[in-house]
Amino acid sequence: MSAADATATRPVLEIRDLAVHFGGVKAVDRLSMRLDEGRIYGIIGPNGSGKSTLLGAVTRLTPLTSGEILFDGEPFHTVHASQIAAKRIARTFQTVRLLPDVSVRDNIQLGADAARGDVDERRGWWARNFGTHTSPAVASAIARTRLGGFEDYRPAEMSYGTQRRVEIARALALDPRLLLLDEPTAGMNQRERGEISTLLKELRDEGLTQLLVEHDVQMMVDTCDYVFAMNLGTVIAQGRPEDVVRDPQVQEAYLGKKFRHA
Amino acid sequence: MSDFYAANLVLIQSTFIGILLALSVQVPMRAGVFSFAGAGSYGIGAYVSAILVLKTGMPSLLAILISGIVAMVVGLLLGLLVAHLGGLYLAMATVSFDLIVSVLAINGGDLTGGVTGLFGVLSDVTIFHLIGLALLGIVGVALTERGRVGRRVDAVRDDPELAQSVGISVRRYRLAAFVVSGLLGSVAGSLNSLVRSTISPSDIGFSLIVLALTMIIVGGAQSWKGAVLGAVIFTWLPPLLAGFGQLQHVVYGVIVATAAIFVPGGLYGIYSEARYRRTRAKRKTPQGEAPAHEQALAISVPNGDAGRSA
Amino acid sequence: MLQDLLGALGLASIYLLFALGMSLTWGTIDILNFSHGSIFMFSAFTAHLLIPYVPMGFVGVALVCIVVGALMSLLVQVVAFEQIIKRARNRNTAERQILIGGIGVAIIPLAIAQEVTKSNPFGFIDSGFEVTTWTFMGLRGTNILLITLTAAAALAVGTAMWLRRSRHGLALRSIGVDSEVSAMMGVDRRRLAIVTMAVSGGLAGLAACLFTYTLGAITPESGDTLLIKAFACIILGGVGSTGGVVLGSVLLAVTETIVLTRTSGLWVEAVAFGLIFLVLLVKPSGLFGRKEVRRT
Repeated sequence: MSAADATATRPVLEIRDLAVHFGGVKAVDRLSMRLDEGRIYGIIGPNGSGKSTLLGAVTRLTPLTSGEILFDGEPFHTVHASQIAAKRIARTFQTVRLLPDVSVRDNIQLGADAARGDVDERRGWWARNFGTHTSPAVASAIARTRLGGFEDYRPAEMSYGTQRRVEIARALALDPRLLLLDEPTAGMNQRERGEISTLLKELRDEGLTQLLVEHDVQMMVDTCDYVFAMNLGTVIAQGRPEDVVRDPQVQEAYLGKKFRHA
Repeated sequence: MSDFYAANLVLIQSTFIGILLALSVQVPMRAGVFSFAGAGSYGIGAYVSAILVLKTGMPSLLAILISGIVAMVVGLLLGLLVAHLGGLYLAMATVSFDLIVSVLAINGGDLTGGVTGLFGVLSDVTIFHLIGLALLGIVGVALTERGRVGRRVDAVRDDPELAQSVGISVRRYRLAAFVVSGLLGSVAGSLNSLVRSTISPSDIGFSLIVLALTMIIVGGAQSWKGAVLGAVIFTWLPPLLAGFGQLQHVVYGVIVATAAIFVPGGLYGIYSEARYRRTRAKRKTPQGEAPAHEQALAISVPNGDAGRSA
Repeated sequence: MLQDLLGALGLASIYLLFALGMSLTWGTIDILNFSHGSIFMFSAFTAHLLIPYVPMGFVGVALVCIVVGALMSLLVQVVAFEQIIKRARNRNTAERQILIGGIGVAIIPLAIAQEVTKSNPFGFIDSGFEVTTWTFMGLRGTNILLITLTAAAALAVGTAMWLRRSRHGLALRSIGVDSEVSAMMGVDRRRLAIVTMAVSGGLAGLAACLFTYTLGAITPESGDTLLIKAFACIILGGVGSTGGVVLGSVLLAVTETIVLTRTSGLWVEAVAFGLIFLVLLVKPSGLFGRKEVRRT
């Protein structure tokens, strides 16, 4: 790829020398990463490797100790956590976080509330804030995550895997440019995992950039275009999933446990 | 009908004042802000209005408006000062604020009438003012329970980190809760001193906090309907129990303790849960899913870490 | 001046004894017991009721107060707080409901005492113990003052040592620090919580006995006033630190005495409230407290 090509495609997200220290613990240490548009990236690593802290830093819920984060070329690490949704960055969490007393539909609507879609802008301030309409984005998110029929359920009435799907739907309703998923398929069965993998790939084909933190190697190999392997807060290997999985450093970090069928 | 009105005028007036007081504590609670500052705002409203009307003879509504503005500013400042506190600490800071207000009232010299308070505050407040302002308060609060705003308040209460990630400025909502609470409490206090023509420090002490708390614990903290329910109950119940003397308070204590243990959602909470269960029973199971399978797998995911700061 | 200081120390001792109980439950099992004041008052009230029928002397009165205090706290823990914790969805909710439940429970003994005494002061007249005054090097003191100072010092040291050294103490502290870790380690939370509450109630009872003898009489509302002051002592010194409570009690008592002697008596109440507010604003963890002050 020539130099001209490299600059023509500005990365959606770029992380330079990121460090996140908590009083002596270096959760993330001199990490650099670059996410180009329209690809699914994966992060794999053992517990404590800093994966979730990284997501926290990117979504501004965790403060940086040093380093830079650039979103679409603009410095991003001074932005407040409540402003990332406006930049069309959506995320799901490692433990399912849904409002317990509110229906699935309204939980997903929370995501749509954050979007600055044309449809909602056309309504007046009053209708937008106090109206009881449901955005079309919600219906489409429900359809894509195959949650049809669950609209009126409350989270506690559904299986863990289904709850995770609601979280993904909420993220989709935000109409994001960058989707951050923290172990989205934990607690799901094989069939659900396959469905999610297919969905994420469809979204990628539509141009959505994604960053997937995953434990399940098969899921990662099936879904991701490019993988970063993390350990002790930094990237130890990166590349295509099949290559990363065979990297000796990566296998050592996992003590051979997870990479049996690479 | 008019006999009932005449015989119970004081109680009817107290009901509307009570509604506004209850709302002033319910609004922040619903946003997850454990603040009792509504009682302090009540004190501010009561004294500022009384002083204004007594010294300048201005019309009631103007006095109520000015007191309201003062209370909102104070509420905003208070909210900014305690923004870093949560849970119990926030509660105690606001209780201290309330008690400081009453101490200021006691030590206000001629301005506040000291320990005896102010008398002869003659005003033009009518029952229509009371009804109108109470309705205005109810409508305003009811609006914040609808649509996008309603959902966002729920998110701020149940999971502030999640709220941030879907673009909600948690800080702004919490500050708004303080300001609204200040306004509601202040109007309640203003109406009280203008209708009763008198105000004294004993009207705004710790017992006021307990009263407001009782109303929303028993009525239900998650909606204005609970606040109204609680206000009605605890305005009309005391006269009924008056025959028991001080022992009527034993009843209140038992009610509050029981509500705190068994029915944290209050009476309105019971009603809304029951209504939800009925709609759930009538619900059809979604297509493509084995209903029994789903029910068997229903795992309640505890929200244990919700609300803790990163 | 020294006389005032002596008085302040006596006051500090009372605050300390009362606050120690609250600090114990708050700092170790995360329970802020708002009925502590009511229990305090009611234990003295019970002794007051029994005195005409049973000859007791100082020890008898103290014992009655301690036992009643311990039993009442135990009851509140089992009947109210445990039930709340069992049903609560998360820690914040439990904390809030316990605060509210405590306020509700507190109303009951208060109402009973108010009904019986018609809000008049009550004391320990004819209990067989006389308060005697003596003078030493120009300072005036009473025997009750001496007992109070000794009890406060002894119990503060004892509590601190107990928390620090004994196995029980370690178990309690581990509950305070991380409930889940200690649950995994097999610490019997329920039993320890009950014991802690009972001890806390006993301390309240002892404080009530000494307080009533010191003042001669108390009113049913006395407990609630002390509640806020105890909160100030704990917050000032830092939750979970016995040394902090001691320091907080001394600071509060001394400040109140200064304010009392320099200005009109009406500002004294504001000292406690003002201190609470100030501390929470500037350094919520207090002087010696743990760093963690959770935001909702």
